[in-house]
Amino acid sequence: MRLLLAGLALLLATPVWCADIPSDAGVDGGKTMAPQIVVNSGRLEWAPHKRDLTRWLTLSYQDRRATPEPTRFDMKLPLAGDKARGKTLAWEWCIACHTLPGDEWPGNVGSPMVHYKQYKHADPLIFQQIFDARVFNPNTVMPAFGTFGLLAEQEIRDLVAYLQSIE
Amino acid sequence: MKTPFFLLAGFLTASALAQDIPYREYEPFERYEPIVSGDLMLSGTYQHWKDPANLDFRMAGNPDENWKLNWKFMDPPFNQTVHGGHFAVDRGERLFKQLDVYGTFASCLSDRSGSPRNLRAGYPRWRADLGRVAGLEEVIEHCGAKQGRVLQNGSYDNSAISIYLASIGNGQPINIDVTAGPMKASFERGRRLFHAKAGAFNFSCASCHTHNIGKRLRGNVITTIYGDVAHYPVYRTQYMLQSLQLRFAECNLDTRTQPLRPGSQPYTDLEVFVTALTNGYPISVPAERDW
Ligand code: HEC
Ligand code: HEC
Repeated sequence: MRLLLAGLALLLATPVWCADIPSDAGVDGGKTMAPQIVVNSGRLEWAPHKRDLTRWLTLSYQDRRATPEPTRFDMKLPLAGDKARGKTLAWEWCIACHTLPGDEWPGNVGSPMVHYKQYKHADPLIFQQIFDARVFNPNTVMPAFGTFGLLAEQEIRDLVAYLQSIE
Repeated sequence: MKTPFFLLAGFLTASALAQDIPYREYEPFERYEPIVSGDLMLSGTYQHWKDPANLDFRMAGNPDENWKLNWKFMDPPFNQTVHGGHFAVDRGERLFKQLDVYGTFASCLSDRSGSPRNLRAGYPRWRADLGRVAGLEEVIEHCGAKQGRVLQNGSYDNSAISIYLASIGNGQPINIDVTAGPMKASFERGRRLFHAKAGAFNFSCASCHTHNIGKRLRGNVITTIYGDVAHYPVYRTQYMLQSLQLRFAECNLDTRTQPLRPGSQPYTDLEVFVTALTNGYPISVPAERDW
């Protein structure tokens, strides 16, 4: 029994990244490293990056992981979103591409979100656009926040509530 | 009792490796026209960047409007003020001359053909001795190591030598041949990679650099990839001295994509692709970039 447990522990401890993370990636100890240039030195230093990115696909030819495919998500009503939390999230995740009210450096890759309420889109539609916009437009540049695990279901509900509240 | 678990673990790893080509997404890359409406709105110069024959620094018009072009027109010889890039050129010259006392460093870099002046304009190229297509920085690391000198690809000293070699070729048009052989193969792989989506946001290089040119990502204006290589490595305050492949790593990190190591095959293929798009543009270093 002790051996069995030891075997199980070994199996579980086998780091997933051994098989997944390509050897030409800037990774150390299973975590993302960022190159650091040191003046007047012939060595390139690497320091831990502020966030670990190893779980997503790289450009390495050795990378055998699949891109998560476009996914539909059936949002169940009621929305039950918190628009204040949604606003905070929008300023963190959406502002680079979309213009939000009160922004002085508006991004214009996506459409402006000022007066969004006027469109009267259905909640589940907006939810799907944020969860995975590829369902509507396979060539979209908008990240699939749900499918790629960037935002949780409740966070997307909060964002929908915020967008629907922009007068 | 332990063995079955080892077998199982081994099996899981092996099956992960044996899979067919997994699901991938690409920005369309056959016969497309880059979407440049953003640039036309902003500066209206994209078409000139695409064609080096039309290159004219006066296009920037009012010097205060240079930011619209993301500094491309502020590069030397147009920016005469002294910045960190000039110190890097000086250090690169000293290092180069130290290593080249017997002429061995230069002949290693050029693979025994041609003058150091022509190195920048002709790299990346096929190196029979390495058995692969290599960028100038990779070869600087390789030739340094032959003399026991550590010059890691992407390090300050490596890029300093690279920027020095570029500086003695200032004005020469970038000229690499990607029409045949391993260079063509590398170019094609690079073209595909440039359009391959990756990372947490599922972006490709083309998502920004060909399909959203001139648009704003908050404070940043995205520019075309044409002509970029002619002013690399660049001086940037935050990074001191940045090689082209470290710029790739930065764009990867900025878009939440795990970066690769400089000198890796994919980065070299990308370098071949963007260098070919710079063919015809005159080398102009040392250039300075914002922050
Ligand atoms: C990389 C740029 C980018 C980011 C970041 C981004 N979007 Fe978008 N978004 C777009 C683009 C481009 C469109 C246009 C439609 C399409 O291509 O899918 C769009 C469309 C939309 C639409 C539907 C269009 C409309 O006017 O009704 C909604 C809703 C939306 N985005 C919400 C968000 C939210 C919420 C976030 C943050 C969690 C976000 N977007 C982040 C680029 C982006
Ligand atoms: C989210 C958008 C985005 C993506 C995706 C992206 N970049 Fe960039 N890139 C930028 C911005 C913004 C800059 C800085 C402004 C400029 O010069 O265009 C930049 C700068 C550059 C430069 C330097 C330009 C110069 O003149 O100094 C190069 C080269 C470059 N990117 C290559 C790439 C490559 C190769 C990829 C794919 C691995 C890539 N980029 C992905 C946005 C992006």
